[in-house]
Amino acid sequence: MSHPEQSPQMRAAKGNCLEMLRLILDGEASEEDKKDFIDKHLEICMPCYKTYHLEMAIRDLLKSKCGNHEAPAELIENIKKMIGTVR
Amino acid sequence: MEETAKQQYTDSERARIFEEEFMPHINSMYNFAYRLTLDEDDAKDLLQDTYLKAFRFIDSFQQGTNAKAWLFRILKNSFINDYRKRSKEPSKVDYQEVENYYNSEDVDRQITPDLRVETLQDMIGDEISNALNSLDVDFRTVIILCDLEGFKYDEMAKILDIPIGTVRSRLHRARNLLKEKLSEYAKKMGYKNA
Repeated sequence: MSHPEQSPQMRAAKGNCLEMLRLILDGEASEEDKKDFIDKHLEICMPCYKTYHLEMAIRDLLKSKCGNHEAPAELIENIKKMIGTVR
Repeated sequence: MEETAKQQYTDSERARIFEEEFMPHINSMYNFAYRLTLDEDDAKDLLQDTYLKAFRFIDSFQQGTNAKAWLFRILKNSFINDYRKRSKEPSKVDYQEVENYYNSEDVDRQITPDLRVETLQDMIGDEISNALNSLDVDFRTVIILCDLEGFKYDEMAKILDIPIGTVRSRLHRARNLLKEKLSEYAKKMGYKNA
């Protein structure tokens, strides 16, 4: 079964596990390829297994520690007010 | 944003687009502004400038297209034009040189410092934030866009005005630099084998 919507990167990744790993980490692999890789490939490829879990742990840390700077309410109000006067 | 034909929105359409399409991204935008400037006051100014610009150029925004990517691009351009010059951060590396190297045949080399998942899980303080902030701004940016905001290659290419191949190599390099940095912290924390 061919996948007509595959990007050049995805085609290049077939048969090259480090390349596929990069696409998965970058959020560019198809759901099907990703599932296949995680369910089947990771069990037999130690370098990919280690890198994948390490990168996922880093991402979890990033999300919990570096993604939580919320815009101050005062600033939001300010912006809305300024837009109101520009309008 | 330059490639789209200008719209002619009515005042009420402008207000609605701003409120419904632009404002919902304000926290992500502030986080991005903060990670670029590394300073809360600069981040506030940058965010405010960006939203004012977005409103001023709202006729260049096409409804149904990706508002978040459009806003991130304006923020990143404002940062380069207005903030980067006066930031205290010295220019440390020649990115082009780094990128040429990573675009060479060596690109698939996997640098995995012997960092362990368990060690990372013990990093409950500011280590990850410090590690991210220590990266040069171009590397920091792709990590934020991809890992925190979930942008795709083509969206990042548009936001950053660089080719997709450069997005890929920069991301790869950035991930390795981040791991190296975390590995250094782990050693400092006393993990002999980190």
